[in-house]
Amino acid sequence: MRAVAATLLLFWVTLPAWATLGQSRDSVQSDQALLKGRLSTAEAQGYTIHQITRDDGGVLKEFVSPDGQVFGITWQGPTMPNLAQLLGSHFAEFQKAAKSAHRRGPLTVHVGQLVVETSGHLRSFHVRAYLINLLPNDISPEAVR
Amino acid sequence: MRRRHLTPRCTRWPASVLLAAALSLAGVGCSGSSSSGSSSSGSGGGTTPTTPSTPVNNTQFIQVGAGPTGTDVNQLLTSVSICVPGTNTCQTISNVLVDTGSTGLRLLASQVTLALPQLNDSNSHPIGNCVAFADNSYAWGPVQTADIEMAGERASSVSVQLIGATGFPAVPADCNTGGTNNDTVQALGANGILGVGVLRQDCGSACATSGSQLPPIYFSCANNTCSVTAVSLQQQLQNPVAVFPQDNNGLLISLPALAAQGATSISGSMLFGIGTQTDNALTGVQVYATDSKGNFTVTFNGQAYSGSLVDSGSNGIFFLDAATLGIPTCPGTLSFYCPASAVNYSAISTGTNGNSGTIAFGIVSAQSLFATGNTAFNDLGGPNPGAFDIGLPFFYGRPVYVAIEGQTTTAGSGPYWAY
Repeated sequence: MRAVAATLLLFWVTLPAWATLGQSRDSVQSDQALLKGRLSTAEAQGYTIHQITRDDGGVLKEFVSPDGQVFGITWQGPTMPNLAQLLGSHFAEFQKAAKSAHRRGPLTVHVGQLVVETSGHLRSFHVRAYLINLLPNDISPEAVR
Repeated sequence: MRRRHLTPRCTRWPASVLLAAALSLAGVGCSGSSSSGSSSSGSGGGTTPTTPSTPVNNTQFIQVGAGPTGTDVNQLLTSVSICVPGTNTCQTISNVLVDTGSTGLRLLASQVTLALPQLNDSNSHPIGNCVAFADNSYAWGPVQTADIEMAGERASSVSVQLIGATGFPAVPADCNTGGTNNDTVQALGANGILGVGVLRQDCGSACATSGSQLPPIYFSCANNTCSVTAVSLQQQLQNPVAVFPQDNNGLLISLPALAAQGATSISGSMLFGIGTQTDNALTGVQVYATDSKGNFTVTFNGQAYSGSLVDSGSNGIFFLDAATLGIPTCPGTLSFYCPASAVNYSAISTGTNGNSGTIAFGIVSAQSLFATGNTAFNDLGGPNPGAFDIGLPFFYGRPVYVAIEGQTTTAGSGPYWAY
């Protein structure tokens, strides 16, 4: 009994903290709890936007395709979110591509199907990420804003 | 060649601001706005005379080189002295990055030998500070109090962050961006960061009011666990220039012009105060006010980028993307542009005060620039599709003024950029 509870707990805490690019929308609820923000949902033509709004001004938008996959994410807020959590299995790819001699400044990574942009400064950060191959039909990357 | 066309224009400010400016200084501003040079005489009762302060050395040596790692480019560095508050027990830290894109002094704890007092909350729990950067790296460490000395100026009892201090609790989850922890010289590329941007505090009022949801920037640490906490404006990290007893309304950065292929290294000056001494007059420049986040707008080909900034801590001019510009990024790295031949661009910066002016700059292949072995370049750039990050290349050959939030100058109050 105890072992089961412990296992469940372990399972629960190892779930992705935030909705992860390229995965299902199921984690949106846990994101809301972790970000301690208000969740709202908006239907757009051909996709859904789940938005988590924090009182400190942080706004996470998760763009979900009709088949339930997170194809894009945007963040704006006073601090930088945890990209390892947001990008999930794509984070290593992002980090490898982002690692560049000499660069000091914002990042723009376009590697394979993955596009990630990070910019800004304390009080005003922006992140935009999407997977080209997961964009629903007729949806342009411009939708991920 | 890349000089921007300067169109000096009078800025209109409310009468109260003009009066304050006239009281504090002989007028450098628009003709007619403050013609009376005797307004600060203070003779007669009723008004508080402004005490003329004895000029001090306000010129801080700055230089661009490869930095302590020996591998960086366009790295603007200076030396900063820190002292145990109120004492002459001081230490000079070299190779500190001069960053107009952030606020506050942050030093690698490994470089600091002074024992500085720790900032604690009302329960005697130590306060930690977290900062993230645009490249997804971050820095974490305790907030301690120091006097900060540069040139002949001293900022007393200012909060500073000691990055990567041993014995301090580990990075809280809310601080970890997943990216690089800037807790070594190798990772940070410097011994510290001197944030001298337009904002007075690193966080501001958003971190000062408890009871609301606070940004994860200040943490109170008890029993090795750190949780987000409120810290007063006065106890937050400050632009140290704002804390100087004089020359405290801003600064200007002055670096010489460069040839297209750059220079092996170059030195210049950071002058404290704007219009407070004979060497820091606000002349021949346009004032571009920023919003409360330190952003203004840059327009390129009719498209406005509202989250833009002037950022000496960025080593290139980062703007748009390769597809839109029609020039490639460099082979093997997406970080910089590598056009086949030099390209000249022009954009329009617009302040929240409505002032507009042209920014002209060139982009040369980063690969060919790096092949020169030089470290200072005025034509290095890379992509940043959402905003203009006007980095160090812009600073060569023109004075760039940084007016601090809430501080009065001859051209009105900060926050603003002027160039």
